[in-house]
Amino acid sequence: MILRFFPRWLLVLVAFPVLLLPVCAADVPSQIDQFIVERAKQAGQPLSPLASDAEFLRRVFLDFAGRIPTVAEARAFLADSSPKRREQLIDRLIDGPEYGSAMATAMHIALMERLGDHPLWTKYLTTSFAENRPWNQIVREILWQPPDDEKTAGAAFFLAKRLEKIGQNPVDYSGLTRDVGRLFLGKNLGCAECHDHLFIDDYKQAHFQGLHAFFKNSYLVNLNPPQVGEKPTTQKSTFASVFTKIEMMTGPALPGGIMLDVPNFKPGDEYLVPPNPKSKSPGVLKFSPLKAASEQIPMPTNRDFVRNSVNRFWFLLMGRGLVHPLDLSHSRNPASHPELLEFLADQFIEHHFDVKWLMKTLARTDAYQRSSLLPSGVDDAPEKLFTTALERRLSPEQLAASVAIALGEQPSPALTAKFIKAFANQPREPEEEINPSLSGSLFILHDSAILSLLQPKPGNLIDRLQKLADTAKVAEELYLALLSRTPSPEEIATVAEVLLQRSATDRPQVLANLVWSLLASMEFRVNH
Amino acid sequence: MRRNPLCQPADHRLSRRQWLGTTAGGLAAGGLAGIATPAVAEQLRRKNKQVLFVWIDGGMSQLESWDPKPNTIFGGPFRAIPTSIPGVHLSETLPQCAKIMDKLTLVRSVSTQDNSHSAGVARIQRGDPKNRGVVYPFFGSAVAKWLGAGDSGLPPYIWVKPGSGGFIDKDAGFLGPKYGALALGDGKPPENLIRPASLSETDDRERNRLRKLADTRYSSQRRSANTKANSFAFEMAEQLQKRMELFDETKVSDKDRDRYGRHEFGRHMLMARRLLEAGVTFVKVTSYGWDTHGDHFNAVANLHPKFDQSFAAIIQDLADRGMLHSTLVIALSEFGRTPRINGHLGRDHWPEAWSIVMAGCGLKAGVVIGKTNETGTDVATEPYDIGHLFHTWFHALGIDTAEHEYRNGGQPLPLAHEDMHPIREALA
Repeated sequence: MILRFFPRWLLVLVAFPVLLLPVCAADVPSQIDQFIVERAKQAGQPLSPLASDAEFLRRVFLDFAGRIPTVAEARAFLADSSPKRREQLIDRLIDGPEYGSAMATAMHIALMERLGDHPLWTKYLTTSFAENRPWNQIVREILWQPPDDEKTAGAAFFLAKRLEKIGQNPVDYSGLTRDVGRLFLGKNLGCAECHDHLFIDDYKQAHFQGLHAFFKNSYLVNLNPPQVGEKPTTQKSTFASVFTKIEMMTGPALPGGIMLDVPNFKPGDEYLVPPNPKSKSPGVLKFSPLKAASEQIPMPTNRDFVRNSVNRFWFLLMGRGLVHPLDLSHSRNPASHPELLEFLADQFIEHHFDVKWLMKTLARTDAYQRSSLLPSGVDDAPEKLFTTALERRLSPEQLAASVAIALGEQPSPALTAKFIKAFANQPREPEEEINPSLSGSLFILHDSAILSLLQPKPGNLIDRLQKLADTAKVAEELYLALLSRTPSPEEIATVAEVLLQRSATDRPQVLANLVWSLLASMEFRVNH
Repeated sequence: MRRNPLCQPADHRLSRRQWLGTTAGGLAAGGLAGIATPAVAEQLRRKNKQVLFVWIDGGMSQLESWDPKPNTIFGGPFRAIPTSIPGVHLSETLPQCAKIMDKLTLVRSVSTQDNSHSAGVARIQRGDPKNRGVVYPFFGSAVAKWLGAGDSGLPPYIWVKPGSGGFIDKDAGFLGPKYGALALGDGKPPENLIRPASLSETDDRERNRLRKLADTRYSSQRRSANTKANSFAFEMAEQLQKRMELFDETKVSDKDRDRYGRHEFGRHMLMARRLLEAGVTFVKVTSYGWDTHGDHFNAVANLHPKFDQSFAAIIQDLADRGMLHSTLVIALSEFGRTPRINGHLGRDHWPEAWSIVMAGCGLKAGVVIGKTNETGTDVATEPYDIGHLFHTWFHALGIDTAEHEYRNGGQPLPLAHEDMHPIREALA
């Protein structure tokens, strides 16, 4: 209100230090590294050297383009000797055309946990990340969409899918409450539904019930795209611990937050715009706990939300949360680097939840760019110290795209669907860890989709390899195509030896064996 | 007390990477047999005990099967017939089972807690222990843990079911995913198990040799746990491929097909026999569609003969092969069905008084334990809950529930409900 009386130019002047901030941001990566290095020193754990250009190249492509680089992209980067080449590549990919889709896929997997998919949800996420809409805005829109807003309609899928009835079971509001707590607040309150958590003192039944009160009156509106409706909330919820049986009441409240008053409207007077049964329009409520959730959860002052956000983005690029498991943030499970977590949270707020800024910043750190090779003389490195890069699970989507790129084929939705079937976890099971499975191995071993990619076709990898007479050239093309690096002398020798063993007529099959062996190898199957 | 279906504290959740990392090495060295706590498992495994667990998804009406009450108010239209044990009668829907009653152990005094489907399956199959804030393993996972995989080269817990297959690790609860079930959808091998003809054995061997070489090079200077786990998954695939004959339909005689029935359940029970013959420790067979809230008696006339035919056939086959004395057979559902016949000529869910049938390993044959009252509405003798049955089954397999316990991290947990005990009359 007071600001109204200031002249505009003065406002600009006052705001100037804020505008300077992005310039100082160059420092943020090294500040992050200081926290990591300090903690490693305390623990007496040596740091791995920075990754080679090839290891770095593969990593950033997988993270920000959702696939490995092509042979041409790999050759170009490996030939680049500019000292700024890594930063330039990070910026090029994050500002590039594949970033939106790569981030959307990663976030879709994290948020939907294979419960289902919808084209408008994919479109919503892809556009949001490509346009770099602030993360708090994305979360707000996921939790509540203005009526008849085309731009955010797809975001409703997060709640709508969870409001579906499965068979004869009632809508799983408890599961929905748990998921909101886990995914947006970093707290799995599932065990505090019927009583205070038995092992985690910080998680109270009142927290679960307060969060539950935001969502308990929502329902699925079966339109396309599916929408979320809400019945009026007219009174507080009652609950009792199964142990004490003492009846308690709560209105909608975030864990540790202020409880909302439940206003007392006369029946029939709850709506600004009443529901229309004909058009199935759910109407607009005067008091909407869902809308309140969408405002309160992604607020900069909601520390649980901000911490959880930076922790999950950190996990995405580093393979492990600072708070780990991601959904068990509580005082007895502190972050591995508590000051770093707070620093990142502050920075994210200061940068208005700018996801691209956060991605670029994290990707510039040594912590991100370190090798997955252990420092010499060390057998193991504790994961939580981030002194050696962690191997990260490739999503089925990343794997499918990478297989297609490596073998010189166009990635296709049909191929991706096959990979999801073979490699995805069961619904509701987070895909956070590397999980080699029987179905995945059998798929790589025998599926016709894989084997047909290993047949020579004009322009594909086998075809290209067949046309190369020189064994060293074959090895180089092979390793660049699959592993985005040049082969070691030892590896060249193996290729030569294998090619020599069999007659020329067997050459396509021998090449297929070589290609397959790298495709099935761990080096290809993880982001390292 | 209301149960909390969400209670799966991640504090107790075993990290996949942890178990794969710490156990894959041992498994790789010892094959699939390396599963279980060393000393106990070694001792138990030598006994080569096996389990066939027939899961009737929904509720099988006790009144039309194991505990008929003809000519009573709730008795329904079916008659009771004599069995191979004088004085014991079964419903006329189970004529083949009546002939082998001398091999069966029947409990007619089962009384359990829950009458809803959503909770019923897991509650019964986990043995409904006291709530410790952890998710207990299904019986199949528990047996996989205590008895191991034996020398079959096959996973210890295989589930033959209609629909799709895959590795179902949620059955394992706190034991961790490796004790999950390998599900054979429609009894078929896992997808992609068969090496296509276009790929010769020589080439397959060659490419896998090169894969292993690549992995060795890759992991030589890196953390090795993930690479080991990946190798384990390939090894499991290789082991299963060696047992392809199990999935070769031409190895099954027409006579057996007819004896078991050519319907889905019959085919799956025949598959179960072949898996047991191959040495699989625990085989579960599921039959879906047992929820006859309406038109119950016509449904029974359709469902029960199929069960009767294949269940009697497998008991007979196990006996003929000398396997029954070391194979524990259990057939049960989520609950029984209401004595009262509802307005849709259906029977609803009735956990209060129902029957479970067992046979084989460590059990008394040809006995009936407990009884219900005249109209079948309640148990008239000591009621047995699923916890009593879990104790009984563990004892039948030679696992003393008083002596052994789980260790979940540091937390000691009983094998079965600690307020319950084995059904002594059932144990030989």
